[in-house]
Amino acid sequence: MILALMKGMCDMDNKIDKKLEDIKNNDNVYSVGKVIKVNPYTVIVSGLADITYYEEVNIADKAKGFVFAVGKNTVTVSLVEVGSKINPGDLVYSLKKQFKCLFSMDSMGKVIDIFGNDLIAGKKFDNLVEVPIENEPIPIMDRGLVTREFLTGITGIDMLYPIGRGQRQLIIGDKKTGKTQIALDAIVNQKDKNMVCIYVALGKTKKEVKDIYLELAKRGASSYTIVIASFNDELPNRTYLTPYVALSIAESMMLDSYDVLVVIDDLKKHADVYRQISLASRKTPGRDAYPSDIFYAHSKMLEKGCQHKDGGSITILPIVETKSSDITDYISTNIISICDGQLVLSSKNFARGEKPALNYGLSVSRLGGNVQSSDMKRVGSLVRNKLLDYLEVRDIYELANFDEMSPELQMRMKNGKIILEKLKQYKFAPKSKEEMLKLYEFLEVGDNDASR
Amino acid sequence: MMQVGKIITISDISVEIILSDNSLKIGDILEVEGNSKYLFEVVEINNISAVCLSLYSTRGLQKGSTVIKKSDELEIEYSDKILGRVFNSYGDVIDGLPFESEKKVKVSNSTVSLKEVKASNEPLWTGIKVIDFFAPLQKGFKMGLLGGAGVGKTVLIKELIHNIYASSKSNAVFVGAGERSREGKELYEDMKSSDLLDKMTMVFGQMGDNPVSRSKSVTTGLRMAEYLRDEKGQDVLIFIDNIYRFIQAKAEIATELKELLIENGYPSNMASEISSIEERINSNDKGSITSFQAIYIPADDLSDDAVQTVMSYMDGQIVLDRKVAELGLYPAIDVFKSTSRLVDAEKIGERHFNLVERVLAMLTRYEELEEIIAVLGIEELSEDDKLVFYRSRKLRNYFSQPMFVAESFTNIKGEFVDIKDILDDVENILNGKYDNVDESKFRYIGKYHE
Repeated sequence: MILALMKGMCDMDNKIDKKLEDIKNNDNVYSVGKVIKVNPYTVIVSGLADITYYEEVNIADKAKGFVFAVGKNTVTVSLVEVGSKINPGDLVYSLKKQFKCLFSMDSMGKVIDIFGNDLIAGKKFDNLVEVPIENEPIPIMDRGLVTREFLTGITGIDMLYPIGRGQRQLIIGDKKTGKTQIALDAIVNQKDKNMVCIYVALGKTKKEVKDIYLELAKRGASSYTIVIASFNDELPNRTYLTPYVALSIAESMMLDSYDVLVVIDDLKKHADVYRQISLASRKTPGRDAYPSDIFYAHSKMLEKGCQHKDGGSITILPIVETKSSDITDYISTNIISICDGQLVLSSKNFARGEKPALNYGLSVSRLGGNVQSSDMKRVGSLVRNKLLDYLEVRDIYELANFDEMSPELQMRMKNGKIILEKLKQYKFAPKSKEEMLKLYEFLEVGDNDASR
Repeated sequence: MMQVGKIITISDISVEIILSDNSLKIGDILEVEGNSKYLFEVVEINNISAVCLSLYSTRGLQKGSTVIKKSDELEIEYSDKILGRVFNSYGDVIDGLPFESEKKVKVSNSTVSLKEVKASNEPLWTGIKVIDFFAPLQKGFKMGLLGGAGVGKTVLIKELIHNIYASSKSNAVFVGAGERSREGKELYEDMKSSDLLDKMTMVFGQMGDNPVSRSKSVTTGLRMAEYLRDEKGQDVLIFIDNIYRFIQAKAEIATELKELLIENGYPSNMASEISSIEERINSNDKGSITSFQAIYIPADDLSDDAVQTVMSYMDGQIVLDRKVAELGLYPAIDVFKSTSRLVDAEKIGERHFNLVERVLAMLTRYEELEEIIAVLGIEELSEDDKLVFYRSRKLRNYFSQPMFVAESFTNIKGEFVDIKDILDDVENILNGKYDNVDESKFRYIGKYHE
């Protein structure tokens, strides 16, 4: 399976040892520099006159990083691993290779980081391959059309706001509205559907990640799911890089004709970490103090979501946490404008017990019926239309006397209520398409006025 | 080839070069000796060094690399060979088919002067009720399509392509600037399968590309539209999705070059950057350019500086509103903010003009009534207000429309509606002719059939 995907195994440690040996023997002295300034996440280095951009460097065996900016006399190195304290004057060795991360073919069912560590077992995998942190954008002509369905098992999604393989569908809402739960439901529903799932946890607590890991294991999703985690007590550069590396891994699988699902939980934290790094490196901030290329940071990441012309696909479910149900803040609108649709969760619905707490008015799927089977498309658009109509009418006629309404209006109100009721679904209770269709059979039966 | 210097600084999208030659000019294209995957454009120059923007990724580029001059400026194809083809922002063909160049020109061009510019033209109907009624347009117009994220800008652009381009003999240019690659590919496939590709040129610098590419897609596409206007004397259509991304990309570049920025991180020369584009999109004696420009509204903030600056060039604006979208009424247009220069009794005729005024007055009252109803309920309204209430809801529903390109969402076939029918229907609703018809009968229809 996945094991066959990655080629060119190598033993990194040996390579580094050999390089250090070379340097000690003065075989390539020219690529040694000296630390002249130590910042929280970066160091400034003098020397390294023939360095390449994004080259990996080793700082006196204490830390590891990559070249983030090449200046006239100095080089800025972003740190990704720090063993012990770095001092000015420490020697910096360039490794004559582009900075890459590590991935093991044995990661399935494990919680890993982007440096080849099995975080639950607390040790490094022993068969690691290198993964680039980012590849070139996928050419527009290499993309196919997104038409194959990706089923979450949730009626309100599969029927009303469907997702296709290769689609980027944002899940957005306040804290405690069930965002992660929808992603987990979607992962669990991929059992026996030939889908590799990658759950990327950014800035979550360790307890949360362990819960998610155990939950997935309990539901039998381990055999096809990898959890990639980065925590807030790590260097911010690692959290920043993690989703890019996860998508590089997904990209190599896609090019090998696999269908991959990547959940990124969540991108607001990613934006905040990028802001932290960017302000620390004294870049001029833009709106809300985010760096001016924050849109690009997310667009190049999410553009990896793709149905490839050769068959494989990457479906991405990014998650964004909002405050006070405001989905119009800077980061949220940026990401909405990148994605192919959004599932908006409402804390009011959640409190009312309407779960999943989808706000059906604000949710959108830009692919709509293109990714649905014909019966799901037919019934889905009928249900969506009636539901939205009902939700609007409901508020207006809240205080009106039901008996005095026209028969047409009474029917709309009655049907609407039933439609809404049938969308309620408890967590980890997936429905098949047939079950969903059956729920709404009543709408297509002739005796109902409102459907005409 | 001529060596011009060596690279001394590198960042994500820019490099600095120590010069060994003083003949360089701004706009020159340079490449790394022996590695043509690194290409640069000179943007700043002094007597010892030059700052350049990198056209592609700088990763893996080595400090001290020798740089040679490749050409004087970016060049694009300037012949009929552009039709039916797909280009990247730098004018390279990217559709994978063989290409033979006939004539190439530099991408930069001057704006249209006051003497040359042609102001008025014949009307152009889109068949989209809400546009033709509230914001009618004519050939040579610039139409801004404004909307926050995910309220339907791109669908509307596609419907306009379907309704106007498909039925006209004109050539068209589509510029994908900083938008989704998936949509670009879909449009390409759509055009191909409906045999419309051969009169269209597409240029893409999408959101996965670096800011240099995203900003240049607009000028490249524009140069091609100018070819169609000036050399072929056509009434050209240009669709730009999305012009905001042009400014956004310029802001990223300005930050990278350590320029001083204005509020919200926009470049200080934003007004002149936008002007240098918009004043080129004009009609002259040879032909006209009608443009549809999607304008993204960051953070749903219509008062954003970049949005306002672009808007000031538009002859008409269609504003999409999240609140209307929430009701499931598409196209989700805010009728109070959507208008055009043509909405004037002398231009569209008294009847049309008066109907627009009456509809807006009624819908304004409706908004007030909604607030009253939220508190008191509908039964407390006076008889007159009840009429206003029910008729407004019919009007509002009537302005939703099944669109050809949205068939996969609505499951209803699209309709092109004639302006005469729109005026009749609106008049009838206003005058109470349909007071006994249920409001749901007006949702997602073309013209009203009794």
